[in-house]
Formats: sequence, C-alpha cells, structure tokens
Amino acid sequence: MSKTWKLIRIMLKMQYSRVGKKNSQTILWIVALLFLLPMAFVYISIVRSALTAFYNVLEPLGQESLIVGVLLLSVHIVLLLVSFITILNAFYFAEDIDSFIPFPVQPYQLLLAKSAGPMIYLYGTAALFFLPVFFIYGAVSAATILYYIAGIITFVLLPIIPFTLAGIILMFIMRFVNIAKNKDRSKVIAGISSLVFIVLINVLIRLNTDVDAIMQNAAMFIQEQDGLLRWITAFYPPAYFGTMMMTASSLWSGFLSLIAGVVLHACALLIFIWVGQLLYIKGVLGMGTANKSTFSGAKLSRKTSVTPIWLSYIKKEMRIIFRTPTFLTQCVITSLFAPIFLIIILFMDSSSGNIGGFLDGLSGKHGLLILFLGSLLIVGSNATSISGISREGKSWHANLFLPLNPKQILLSKIATAWFINLIVIGLAVILFIFIIKIEWTLFLIWLPLVLLASWFSSALGTFLDFLQPKLNWTDEQEVFKSRMIGLIGIVVQLGIFGILVLLIWNLDFVNGIYMTAAILFVLVVIAIVVIHSLIHHKIKQGQHQTI
Amino acid sequence: MIEIKEVSKHFSGQRKVINQLNLSIPDGKIVGFLGPNGAGKSTTIKMMTGVLPIDEGTISLDGFDIEKKPLEAKSIFGYVPDRPDLFLRLKGLEYLNFIADIYQVPKVVRQERIERITKQFSIYNSLDDYIQSYSHGMRQKIIVTGVLLHDPSIWILDEPLTGLDPKSAYILKEMMREHANKGKTVFFSSHGLEVVEQLCDEVAIINDGELLFYGTLQDMKETYESDDQSLEQVFLELTSNE
Repeated sequence: MSKTWKLIRIMLKMQYSRVGKKNSQTILWIVALLFLLPMAFVYISIVRSALTAFYNVLEPLGQESLIVGVLLLSVHIVLLLVSFITILNAFYFAEDIDSFIPFPVQPYQLLLAKSAGPMIYLYGTAALFFLPVFFIYGAVSAATILYYIAGIITFVLLPIIPFTLAGIILMFIMRFVNIAKNKDRSKVIAGISSLVFIVLINVLIRLNTDVDAIMQNAAMFIQEQDGLLRWITAFYPPAYFGTMMMTASSLWSGFLSLIAGVVLHACALLIFIWVGQLLYIKGVLGMGTANKSTFSGAKLSRKTSVTPIWLSYIKKEMRIIFRTPTFLTQCVITSLFAPIFLIIILFMDSSSGNIGGFLDGLSGKHGLLILFLGSLLIVGSNATSISGISREGKSWHANLFLPLNPKQILLSKIATAWFINLIVIGLAVILFIFIIKIEWTLFLIWLPLVLLASWFSSALGTFLDFLQPKLNWTDEQEVFKSRMIGLIGIVVQLGIFGILVLLIWNLDFVNGIYMTAAILFVLVVIAIVVIHSLIHHKIKQGQHQTI
Repeated sequence: MIEIKEVSKHFSGQRKVINQLNLSIPDGKIVGFLGPNGAGKSTTIKMMTGVLPIDEGTISLDGFDIEKKPLEAKSIFGYVPDRPDLFLRLKGLEYLNFIADIYQVPKVVRQERIERITKQFSIYNSLDDYIQSYSHGMRQKIIVTGVLLHDPSIWILDEPLTGLDPKSAYILKEMMREHANKGKTVFFSSHGLEVVEQLCDEVAIINDGELLFYGTLQDMKETYESDDQSLEQVFLELTSNE
C-alpha cells in the first residue's frame, strides 16, 4: 500500500507542480473567481427557488425523495461522461505512464495512482452539482443531522461507481479493440465520438419526448410512497440506495440502505482493481506508432516542391494541428460544437424560420449588430489562435535559429487560425442561407465583416499566447488545461465590441444597415491595426527570444 | 568565420553564466567546444544562433552581427540543436521540404541533396514516415540532413554525434572534415574527448562561463607542459582547478 501511496503522491505532484508557472497566472485565477462569485449567487438562488417549488408540490404526495433521486441520477450521469474523458486521458493518453512501467509495481498500484488525478476532478465536478442542491434540500425540508451525515457519506461515494464503470468499459475497449494499437487514431476517434455522442443524445431527446407515456407512468407510480423514486432509479441501484440513505423515514431503513450502498461501492472498487490488474498494462502496452515503409525516387520527385516561406509555414501548422489528436479536438472539433448544435436545434425545430423572421423584424442596423456580436463569440472561442505559440512546445526555439522573421512567424500563425475559422464560418454560411434564410443584403454585409473580425480575433488570440505561452509541456493537453487565456480572449473581444455595439445600438444618428456596416468595418480595422502594432512592439522588445 | 567579442549572459536573478567571452574562429577549421555540464556551452551556442538574446558584447558570423542582421546571419549557418525532437508530427520529407523552403533551396538541388544525404545516413526509406516514429539517432540524422540542405558556410552543432550509430557518426565526421577542407567553419560542442582529439583542428574549453583555453592540441600540450598527458587528463585538470 505504501508503494501505491508513493505513486499517487508523485503523480499528483507531477500534475499539479507549480514549476514554470508564473504568479500572474494565480492573480488571473483570483480575478476570474471574483467574476464568478456573482454568478454563483445567481446559480444558488435559481436552484433554491426551483427546489422549493418542486418540494412544495411533491411533499404532500409523499414523493419528495424524487428530488434527491433525480439529483443523484443526474450527478452520476454527468460524472460518468466526465469519467470517460478523464480516464482516457489519464490512463492511456498521458505519456508519463511509459516511465512508470519499468518500476517493480503491480498494475493495480499504477491504476490506483493514475486514478488520483481524475478522482480529484470528479469530486470537484460532484461538489459543483451535488452540494448546492444537497444543502438547499436540507434547509427546505428541515432535515435532521442524520440527513447531513448520510449526505456527506453519499458525496464521498458519489464518483466511485461512475468512475469504476467508465474505467472498466475503457479498459476492455483499449485492451481488445484495434483502435488501441494506434494511439493517435484512438485519440481522434475519442474526440469525434464525444461530439457525435452529445449530438446524438440531443437528437434522441428531441425525438423521444413522448409526454403522454411519461405522464401515464408517473400517475401510476405516484400512488405509493417513494414510488416515483423507485421508478426513475429502477435501472440504477446506486442512486436508489443513496436517496434512501438520505431521505429514509426510519433509522433502520436508512441504515440498511447505507450498508447496501457501501457494499455496492466496495464491490465496484474491487472489480475495478481486479480488472485493472488483468487488463490495464496490456492495454497501455498495446499502443505504438512505429511504421515501416519504403521510398522511391519517383515519390521523392513527386513530393518535393518549392513553396513560398509563408505558405510552407502555414502548411506545417495545419499538418501539426490535423495530425495531433489533442490539437485537432481542441482547435477544430470543439469549435464546430456551437454551429453544429445551432444547426441541429434549428433544423429539428419546426419554427426555425422564426429566427430569420426575428432578424427580419429587427431593423437592418440591429440585425447586423446581433449577427456581428454572435459571430464574434463563435470565432473568438476557437482555440487555434490562443494556442498558436504554445503548440510549438520545445520546437519553438527552431523558429529562432531558422532565418525567419518573427513577424512572419506570427503572421503565419494568425493566418492559420483564420483559415481554421473558415470552417466554422462555412457552417454559419450554410446555417444562414439554408436554415435561417436571412436576407441577402444582410448576408452579403455580414460575410466580409465576419472574415475581418475573424482576423482580429485570430490576431488577438495569437498576441495573448505570445505574451504568456506554455512551451514547457510534456503532454499536448497541457496547452489547453488550466489556462485562462481562452477566457481572457473572449472577455476582451466581447468586452470591447460589446460596449461598442451597445453604443451603436443606442446612437440614433447611426441609421440603416449600410452606415452601421461602415462603422463596424472601421472599428474592426482599427482593432486589427492596434493588435498588429502591439505584436510589432513586443517583437521589437525581443519577446520571441525571452518566452 | 565566427567572432565572439566580450559576450556576457545572465539569467534573471542569477550570476553571469557567460562572462566576457572572447573567441575568434577562422575559416577552414573544425573547432571542438568543451566543458563540463553547466559550463555555458549550450548558452553560448544559443546566443550564437539567435535563440537567446545577448546581454553584453557581440557575435558575428561571416561578418553579420546575429543581433543586428539576424536573417542574414541565420542564412549562412546551419545548426543542429542538442535535442533533435523537432516537428515530430511532420514526415521526414515534409520536414526537409519545410527547411528547404525556408532557406529557398531550388527543387533540383534539394532533391539531389535529400536523396544523397539520406541514403548516406540510411534514412531514405523512412522519409515518408512521421519523425515521431523515428529513433533518437534517426531524428538526429534528419536534423543534420536539414542543416546540410542549403550548404551553409558555418556549421554549428551541439552534441551532434550523440545517438548516432558508428557508420553514421563516421559519415558525419567525414562530412565535417570535407567541409573544413573547403575553407568553411565547423564549430561543435561535445563531451566525447576522443572525437575532439581525433577530429578537431582547435579546441575551446569553457568552465563557469569563462574561456579557459583556446588553441590547437599542440598548443595545449605546450601550454600545460603535458607531453605525456591525454586531452582527457588536461581537460580534467583544467576544469577541476576552477
């Protein structure tokens, strides 16, 4: 056990080490937390009023336990989804596992040590969803001390089942399915699957909401005490035992549920360790990237071409993004979420024409301002620009000894982010033309405007990353994890243009779509010039050599 | 020709890692740059190649100041860094084409050089594979190939023989000799004293950021009156006395 403990400590130290982190990042976190505080108050007050309303309806029917049941069930689902992603990253994609394999430790010890990081993350997620409702429910139902004790035990047990379930499924998949043989391919498949999975869930929910059948079942189960709870948790015992533990009317039934819950979780943990001992290392060892091939003179001739430096640099950037699963997922796939979701929601919603109608209903000026701000949010959330320098990692110094002008390097990086944004803009074009069917004048003004705004957004993100890049990473995930830069980028963009849009919106002498468009064009061009001057200034100060 | 004049470097909050370094390396020579770990070899090389800014002094390569005329200076040297883990997601040929594009090497010339050098290094058949799948030695070879594509007049190599198999190490040493014989400059750091003894026309020994010796091996023997001593013994004596 001491070996396991030592492994846990060293792995956590590696993950949360402050080496290379600057104090300014801590300050950024504090500022972000200060901004989040009011949001937390809003969140808690919404939960409180909703919960009180539900409680007042369900309590007279003897069905109030349903609230805790639904809570536990939803937290388990969230934790299960989070577990899949964190386990895949921690168990299989993090490169550090290779350096632990030669040590004289059992696979289950490595597995438990590897679990520490994801478990901390899961407890954080569970706390976010579970604790506010738990305390508010306690207050609303005037719960006894037993409720709180049972709740704390439930919280401690919460992530175990989702984590072990996801872990066991993934260990089987990674051991026996062929994708594990190719680390890169499996990463891309995992990334795309997560998108498809979420989209599918959305579509299924929209297709299968048979309100009549649900009402019939509910009416049947509502007849008996805790009937609704048993109905919704029938397929998932941990949520049932957890709820009974917290809300049982008698001490005995609560105690029995506690015993049942603890036994269930202990069994899950033991099965997880047993499966891990059998499969984990075999799954990890199954991965490899080696390739053997031959080469010919004809191939050399065909594949050798002279390309201008800037284009060659952009091609290099694109290749690295599309071939590195983490970069592909974060820079391309994630940025498609928003437009794809919009398309699906609007496509499946019969009243989708309403948005076009809504925009038509607005004046040209206001319609354009809304579209502009919305587009800025979508292109601004793309992670390509804010990772432009950091993606290089330790290769960054190659940019310095090669005869490349630093300005050219940064311009190429901005251009790369701009080109990737074209994919998102392309989807938006489809959305506007075929689904929302916006007016042609509005569309023809919006398109060049968003292309220009996308350049601004790409330049701003590149500049922010240039100021404080993360080059010293061992795993590509670190480029995106625990960094505030994406949020800062969006806040700066929306902050500046949000205020300007608000101003234009309220200025009466700005009339009509053409005048608004002209002002927006001028503003975006000014913003681009400012960012490029800042980049130029930083290069003159030798920032590229000191990062 | 490499000219290092009064160069000093310190990192924030630390004492000087390079202190008033002066070194003038003429054309047509192979110069070995020696020193214990942490002596300042890599820092010097990084300043020579423009990776690190210079705090004091100047460095010029064939007359081009690396800080005032960086693009001109960088165009005339080829640099092999100590770690060959660059652009791992590119295929070998893609990397070479990228480097050749940056140095603007014409198609016919690059094609001929890629074929010749990669065949010499036995990595020709791996050109269509990702660099990530290469062994350490293969990565070193692809970087060296990239450096040779534009036929630079100055070669700067940081531990170039580490990880190379005997045949490739021999070929690289031959290339370095040929290059110097053509009146060009080769400057490389190494921990392999035998290689330096066997290959170099001159050696520069650095410790704690200060130059302890620069000259031919013969000069060294005369200076330290050590006819019966090897370079290894002189090196150990020099660096342990400091």
